[in-house]
Amino acid sequence: MTDFLTLFIQQSVNGVYLGCLYVMVALGLTLIYGVLNQINFAHADFVTVGAFAAFFTATRFATRVLGIPDTGAYLLSLFSALGAGALLGWLVSAAVFAPLRRSGADELRPLIATIGVSVLLENGQLALFGPIPYQFDSPLARETLRIGKLFISAQSVLVVAVSAAAIAALYAFMRFTFMGKALRAVAQDRETAGLMGINENLVIALTIVIASALAGVAGALLGPVVVLTPFTGASLIVKAFACVIIGGFGNMEGTIVAGLLIGVIEAFTVQYLGSGLIDLVVFAMLLAMLVVRPTGLVAERKEENV
Amino acid sequence: MTLRRISVILALLGIAVLPWLLTTGYWRGILVLCAMNVLLALSLNLVMGYTGQLNLGQSAFFAIGAYVSTILVKSHGWNFWPAALAAILASGLVGLALAAFATRLKGHYLAIASLGFAVITYQVLINWESVTEGVRGVYGILPPVPNTVALFYLVAGIALAVYLLLDNLVRSPVGDTLRAIREDEISAASLGVNAAVWKAFAFGLGAAIAGLAGVFYPGFVGTLVPDAFGIIESFTMMAMVIVGGMGTMIGPVIGAVVLTFLPELLRGFGELRLMIYGLALTLVVLFMPGGIVQAYTSLRARRRP
Repeated sequence: MTDFLTLFIQQSVNGVYLGCLYVMVALGLTLIYGVLNQINFAHADFVTVGAFAAFFTATRFATRVLGIPDTGAYLLSLFSALGAGALLGWLVSAAVFAPLRRSGADELRPLIATIGVSVLLENGQLALFGPIPYQFDSPLARETLRIGKLFISAQSVLVVAVSAAAIAALYAFMRFTFMGKALRAVAQDRETAGLMGINENLVIALTIVIASALAGVAGALLGPVVVLTPFTGASLIVKAFACVIIGGFGNMEGTIVAGLLIGVIEAFTVQYLGSGLIDLVVFAMLLAMLVVRPTGLVAERKEENV
Repeated sequence: MTLRRISVILALLGIAVLPWLLTTGYWRGILVLCAMNVLLALSLNLVMGYTGQLNLGQSAFFAIGAYVSTILVKSHGWNFWPAALAAILASGLVGLALAAFATRLKGHYLAIASLGFAVITYQVLINWESVTEGVRGVYGILPPVPNTVALFYLVAGIALAVYLLLDNLVRSPVGDTLRAIREDEISAASLGVNAAVWKAFAFGLGAAIAGLAGVFYPGFVGTLVPDAFGIIESFTMMAMVIVGGMGTMIGPVIGAVVLTFLPELLRGFGELRLMIYGLALTLVVLFMPGGIVQAYTSLRARRRP
């Protein structure tokens, strides 16, 4: 019985830490949807770009050029991933979302255009980095804390800490700063916010940059615990969508709860059903959710549009 | 003779002549692939272009056509043609099942649900090893006809037949109904259109046509592995439809031909094929939303003021 309990707690811990990674990715999607009513399909590929940026910073630039030791190099790489994500977000905002918004395109054209960006990013990275997985060796992934019978890697502690800090910072930004208030105003009613003197284009660009920076950091956190290939992020997009749908599009709290839930469900799926079935289980949940309350979800969106 | 009849005769002549202009085995293979892509683009265009339903799950129907026909032939000893018919029916029926979602979901939600459907299908192909052989794959699959030229005539002939069928369909009142649903579902419903039934019709027919293309794929490449049916296949079909011109009949055909041959003409760049698809998709949506067809018509309109 105690063995069962230990296993249960161990998998819950693993699940929470996976869930934190999903939340970091899904929050960006839901943030963009809340403000813009658009999906950035390339969002998860920003995770891959962040992971590669961190990898090259940690293993090449920081250690060899700056001569910073292991842990310092890895922590520095988090910031380069953040920068890479933010830069990509700005590019996609300026090159795809802004022109399509100006031309008054329907809701599906930006989705299709960002599917193109996603395909381009994945295969561009494939051409650059090759298909062979990279071994991103974080010093923290090697260290393990032991609490009783539980094993917790230092990397997972860092993942939980960084995502908690990022979520707290995001909330503080939304609640206490003028830009955050402007962002919420644009999310509520873009036209009226514009009439109140809010520069809506700036707010939308900022939202996409913040969302993409989160994705980049998620990449740096994810890199050391998975096999790093150009398609690492692509495998996340399905789970990120699941978080966003189950949590309710544009609903930040819902997305956080759904992300943690999916992380825990994934951990238990690996334990009891096998790792091959994760995507099946998560997507069956997503489809079930869409069947159970599709009208609720769609009706909510319609109200916003009228 | 009407213009339409002349075009059909020209198309038939083109199909007949092409394998004798591109005589190497490699290029004849590309021709077969192109005919298959035309079928797939036509199938997606019916759902996405004419009915206005963004469906990211079309790769699943391509997969179902390929797997059902191959398994019936290989494991149950069926003849190719009855197996093909069963596979097309199976794809169509699963298409109707996806339509059950499409009648309740719109826009982004439908896009994600259909994406989920494609991912689930792909995962089932990998995990249901006792039937699909999983990632090991099925090997030594023979095409229904003896050589590549015959296979090209067969698939291209079917593609032309499907084109004419769909062309008649979209000119008929059914086409008007589908377009009405695309433009404004609520107005269409207020005029007595049962949107759910007609969406199901479009999804089912589109799925059956994608399944039809899938029937010929395993025999053409000789092997069957799940990786041939990832969601990237849905995106390449979408690229063909969008680049050619969504919601026109000839557009997806042009898109399929251009996007099949363009990467071949730029060979030596290895991974560039999919990069071109991604770039083309983004650039066309940004700068030429009606695709090649619209660009051509607006160019002609400008020349004749």
